[in-house]
Formats: sequence, C-alpha cells, structure tokens
Amino acid sequence: MPIADFLLTATFTAPQTIWTNPALMLWMLPLAASIALIYKAMKLRTITPANFIKEAGILFASIVVLITLIILALYALAWLITE
Amino acid sequence: MTESSKGDHLLLSLTVGLLAWFVPGAGHYVLKEKKRAVIIFATIVSTFCAGLYIGSIGVIDTVGATPWYVYAAQIMVSPMVAVLAHLTAGGAYTVYAWPNEIGQIYTSTAGLLNLLCIVNAIYLAYLRGTQTSGG
Repeated sequence: MPIADFLLTATFTAPQTIWTNPALMLWMLPLAASIALIYKAMKLRTITPANFIKEAGILFASIVVLITLIILALYALAWLITE
Repeated sequence: MTESSKGDHLLLSLTVGLLAWFVPGAGHYVLKEKKRAVIIFATIVSTFCAGLYIGSIGVIDTVGATPWYVYAAQIMVSPMVAVLAHLTAGGAYTVYAWPNEIGQIYTSTAGLLNLLCIVNAIYLAYLRGTQTSGG
C-alpha cells in the first residue's frame, strides 16, 4: 500500500484524543455550521453566493448564541445548587 | 391526473428519494437544482467524514452497546455506511469516551440532515409533477 493511502486510511481507523475541558464545547461549531448550511440550502428560493452566505451566517450565529446562553444558564443553575 | 401520469409521478418521487439516499444531493441534482445539490453533498459528506476522523470508523457500531437509533440515523447518509458497519463488526476498531460520543453525534447528525434533504427532494419532485400535470 502506498504511504499516502496508508496515512489516509490510518486517519480514519484511529480515534483522535479529546480531553474533558471547556474547549470541548468548540466541537459544536462545525456541527452548527452544517445545520445552518443545509437548512438554508433548502429554504432559500434562489441561491446566490452573497445571500446564501449572509443567511447561513445569521442562522449559524443564532444557533451559537442560543446554545451559549443555554450553557451559561445551566452553569449558573449548577453553581446555585452546589454552592 | 391520469393513471399513467400518477404512475410516472410516483416513479419520479421514488427515483429522486433513492438517489438522494445513495448519494447526498443527487436527488436535487436530478431536479436541476445544481447549486443546492453541491452544497448538500459537500456539507453532508464533510460532516460525516469529520465524525469518522474524530472517532474512527469504529463509531459505526452495530454489534456493541450503541443504541439502534444511532445506526439508523448514520445509515441515512448512504447505504455505503452498511459496508463500513460490516468492516467494524469484528470489533477491531473499538472506540470509547469523547471520540466515540462526538463521532457518533457528527455521523448521526449528517444522516438526519440527509434525511431532511431526501424529504425535501421528494417534495420538490412532487411539486414538479403536479405542475407538469396541471394538478
């Protein structure tokens, strides 16, 4: 097997190392981007690069802001219960 | 709508649905929605591949402790997922903890997004069918 093929296969057969820390939350960003892109690809009547990027960007930002607010509310609730 | 046009209509919807399942975005491509097709294909394939990169192909697990609905969501990306499931069935690619969780979330979300696209493509095919038959 050529070395490039071996490395490509190895990339998908060995899991990445992910630690439990606040940076773990960043994994939601690509997923939020995917959801925004697919939703807007189906909902927009006509797709031009400018309006698609704008609409998907707004939806992406809305998802991220909402999730961040939920995280902060849950964090505050957990702090109130445990303190 | 005549019986033959109803049959054509059903066949078109079925073909579009199956194509959209086999290759993400192919349903929209057949309906001449090329920009949507490219966006859907690129987004769903990259989300699915990101899931496999994070957790390895071991996140597609049909024999372990993974709930059935995770595999049901993953296979909505494409029937090709069943080939990967066959590869991982021997337990050679077991993955645990966060890589498993995040990999499963990414791959099953890609599948659920493709399910949304399949439904949308069938709906578009239905609308085209009713417009051309004057319904």
